[in-house]
Amino acid sequence: MNKTTSIATIFILVMAVFPFLVDSAWLSIGITFLVFATVAFSQDIILGRAGVFNMGHAIFFGIGAYTTAILNVQFGLEIIATIPFAIIFPVIIAIFLAGPIIHLRGDYLLVATIGFNIIFEQVLSNDLFGLTGGPNGIFGIDVVRIFGYELWTDTSIYYIAFGLLIITLLIIRNLDNSRYGRALYYINKDEIAAKSMGINVPYYKLFAFALGAAIAGAAGSIFAIQYSAVSPESFSFMQSVMFFAIVLVGGSASLPGVIIGTFVMFVLPELFTEFKESRYLIFGAAMVLTMVLRPNGVWPATFGNIPKYLKEKALKHKALKDNSKGETE
Amino acid sequence: MKLTRLASAFALSAAVCASVFAADTVKIGVQAPITGKYANEGQGIDNFVRLIVDEKNKEGGLLGKKIEVVTCDDEAKAQKAAVCAKKLSNAGVFAVIGSYTSGATEAAQTTYYRNKILQTSDGTSDSLIKRKYWTFFRNSFPNSAQGEFTADYFVNQKKYERIVVLSDYSSYSDGLADSVEDSIKKLGGNVAFRGKIKSGTQNFTAILTKVKALNPDVIYYSGYYTDGGLLRVQQQQLGINADFVGGDSNDNPDFLKLAGKTAAGVYLVNVPTPDILPYEAAKKYLTAYEDRFNMKPPSIWAVVNADGLRAVMEGVEKTNSFDTKKISDYIRNDMKDFPGITGPFNIREDGERVGASLMVYQIQEDGSYKVSFNK
Amino acid sequence: MDIFLQQLINGLTIGSLYALVALGYTMVYGVMKLINFAHGDLVAFSAYVGLTIFTQFFGASAVSFVDVIIIFLFTSIIVAFVGVLLERLAYRPLRTAPRLSAVVSALGAALVIQNGIMLIWGPNMQIFPADLLPSTIWNISGVIITFTQVCILALSAVLMIALYFFINKTKIGTAIRATAIDQDAAKLMGINVNRIIMIIFVVGSMLGAIGGLFIGLYYRSLTFDMGWVYGLSAFIAAIIGGIGSIPGAMIGGLLLGLFNALIAGYISTEWAETLTFVLLIIILIVRPTGILGEKTAEKV
Repeated sequence: MNKTTSIATIFILVMAVFPFLVDSAWLSIGITFLVFATVAFSQDIILGRAGVFNMGHAIFFGIGAYTTAILNVQFGLEIIATIPFAIIFPVIIAIFLAGPIIHLRGDYLLVATIGFNIIFEQVLSNDLFGLTGGPNGIFGIDVVRIFGYELWTDTSIYYIAFGLLIITLLIIRNLDNSRYGRALYYINKDEIAAKSMGINVPYYKLFAFALGAAIAGAAGSIFAIQYSAVSPESFSFMQSVMFFAIVLVGGSASLPGVIIGTFVMFVLPELFTEFKESRYLIFGAAMVLTMVLRPNGVWPATFGNIPKYLKEKALKHKALKDNSKGETE
Repeated sequence: MKLTRLASAFALSAAVCASVFAADTVKIGVQAPITGKYANEGQGIDNFVRLIVDEKNKEGGLLGKKIEVVTCDDEAKAQKAAVCAKKLSNAGVFAVIGSYTSGATEAAQTTYYRNKILQTSDGTSDSLIKRKYWTFFRNSFPNSAQGEFTADYFVNQKKYERIVVLSDYSSYSDGLADSVEDSIKKLGGNVAFRGKIKSGTQNFTAILTKVKALNPDVIYYSGYYTDGGLLRVQQQQLGINADFVGGDSNDNPDFLKLAGKTAAGVYLVNVPTPDILPYEAAKKYLTAYEDRFNMKPPSIWAVVNADGLRAVMEGVEKTNSFDTKKISDYIRNDMKDFPGITGPFNIREDGERVGASLMVYQIQEDGSYKVSFNK
Repeated sequence: MDIFLQQLINGLTIGSLYALVALGYTMVYGVMKLINFAHGDLVAFSAYVGLTIFTQFFGASAVSFVDVIIIFLFTSIIVAFVGVLLERLAYRPLRTAPRLSAVVSALGAALVIQNGIMLIWGPNMQIFPADLLPSTIWNISGVIITFTQVCILALSAVLMIALYFFINKTKIGTAIRATAIDQDAAKLMGINVNRIIMIIFVVGSMLGAIGGLFIGLYYRSLTFDMGWVYGLSAFIAAIIGGIGSIPGAMIGGLLLGLFNALIAGYISTEWAETLTFVLLIIILIVRPTGILGEKTAEKV
């Protein structure tokens, strides 16, 4: 079993029993961690694996959250029933938004996604069609009800979030082993070479967007349930920057990397509440420092890179060859 | 490496659990915008709560138990308010004072209701009472009362003929402006224009230019002081010759800072300011506040919240329990004319405060207020 | 008609402010292909610095013309210094690193500056005093223009013309343009690229500082996060004009201001910002190189 899988297993086991080890304040933080880790993984699919500069991921998170909120509060749907919509709408929007810009060069695509994010925030604040609730958002979201049984305690919400994270990790594992995953990897490494191999680049990039959006949407739904309220500022451009940074600072396409990134961004501040005010400043400084010291992230992925032992063998071989060459000359 | 990090997280969380609240303290929560654009209001609320709590603790506490204040900063943002609601509920408070804005109050309401925690707020948005949660009671007067009063002043007292009503997009401000507009129409007055500005955009010349063309004699703004002050400056800059009347949320020292010289002549509609309050409790607490914090409370809002707290404490003592349902029933049904700092404190069955007393002030050249009209 | 003229004046004023800020972005992007996310926060920082200099040294009372120049000068110098510091610490070490790392570093630097402002000046809103500049108002047949607006329009125009000459008619300007086209070739020509980059940050930051002071004077209320989205809008304006092109940034900024004012005045104040961004994205999709930008072939 390789390193990544063993780390993943330990992580899952620990998180599975987490609610029984901590008090309610930490349980809340735990749920937040799971939800944001899920979103970070979904961003990782787009940014880390496909290499698409998406800095508007909070949009899909937000659409999921608001879909649940609107369908439940304005239209009276049961929370369980809103979840499929919270997954599908972000996908539709993702294809709609990413479609026209997917051909743009990296930086331009980045700016376009930022623009979309800002527009999204405005649409939410301005109470579009009287549905999105204005700058104060929507509150009074119901609890999850299955067969009449109410799941409103934090513990139950925790396990729902946990379930989603497990599903996400399984999806990513399947993706990596599939044709789609390989295509994304090649596109990331060298887009032009991939194109010349016959890979339909826009199709796969859009696929990454859609998949990332779907997972983020589901996470958004759980976010809405956890707080019984949603409002525009949770899905701002700054939030997208956070997700963007988590993936890059932690390490793209790296499971331990994304988990560390989420932990640092969202859990660490809770541990050090004395530094609450300066927490963003410390993040910012950490971001700069990490990039300067480890441009590939704190825990870069090892997938696709030549394993260390092979590298050493090659180096030894080369050294021998050089020595023998030197002697003959 | 990661495992040790997780382990230390657990160790820390265990330590947190270990600091169990001793059996002889109770906790009261404050949810307010301690930082952000309404920070001075939030800090005022927090200060006043602590003032009252310390005084009570000196007298022996609440039913013999020491009161501990837990504050959560909601930055006047709805999402942060929802987070605060969870935090304060988890912290084990039995009552929460907050928040300053109706939006932040409403976002937290449902969580406090589900956890059976009492909540009182100065938010004036009528929608706060909509759900009739037994855990919630208002400590200020609702928008509908302010709307009627303002309309009466405009139509019957000042006899304005072309009234412009502006609000921002928050449910509080929009609701207040709607209330004013409806009341004016009921009295037969003429609302020449009803518009909205986006809070925080700072440049309102676009809409003011539109307004100028209508030649109004009064511009009424129902939003917050951060925008009201700038509206006033730009109104004068554009040469619009009309009275400027602000709703209660314009009542804040920062309004004067923003408006600068143009603040003189502005009218504000609000409950009596702290220094005008004629009640016994008022003088006592206001002096105490000034002594301790070296400044006056930023506005009446900190004071009404203090009254809310005092009503809760009264409820505890009169029912001799911390059972929040019993306290709520007491406040609504049995408490009559509780001597509040802001006057007789009476709460209706649905949580609404009744007996509104409102005034109109005019800001003078030196920044002081002069009562211009009261009922 | 005079409503249109009024909105025009407003639009040009706001646009000049955007242009001053956009120039900083475009110069850095042109040479380093880096989006300097921290620039907007630097602009906000300059407003705060200006406010502090004003209140600490001039007692927040009416000041003379010379004093105003001093405030502007000192603020620009301080901000230029911070700009150079920013380049040294956050960008120079990443010159050879993957592009995305530099982006994250820029974002991190933006957070540091933004929250640095919050820690130094506190999280509450700060208010720029109303009487730094005289509050005279001119009324030209129904169209109002204030002294501050005239200052902004005049000074921005002067600065932009000066910058244009600097870039196109001086030796250093030519060196900058050369470095923007090909850094390695410029090095071979004997141009000290590090020095050029430092100059760019100094000039860009100073322009941004002047923009920031005017923003404080014009909008009056300062919040520590005001630079974040403002800077972004300015950057998108630079893209519309053609990223990397200095006249492009000027045009982009003015256009953005005009869009904003006209949409706010004629369509809706609520959706002004949103529609402006929609317009920007449409332009991005249809013509990403912008109005004055050239299509460059990418070498494989």
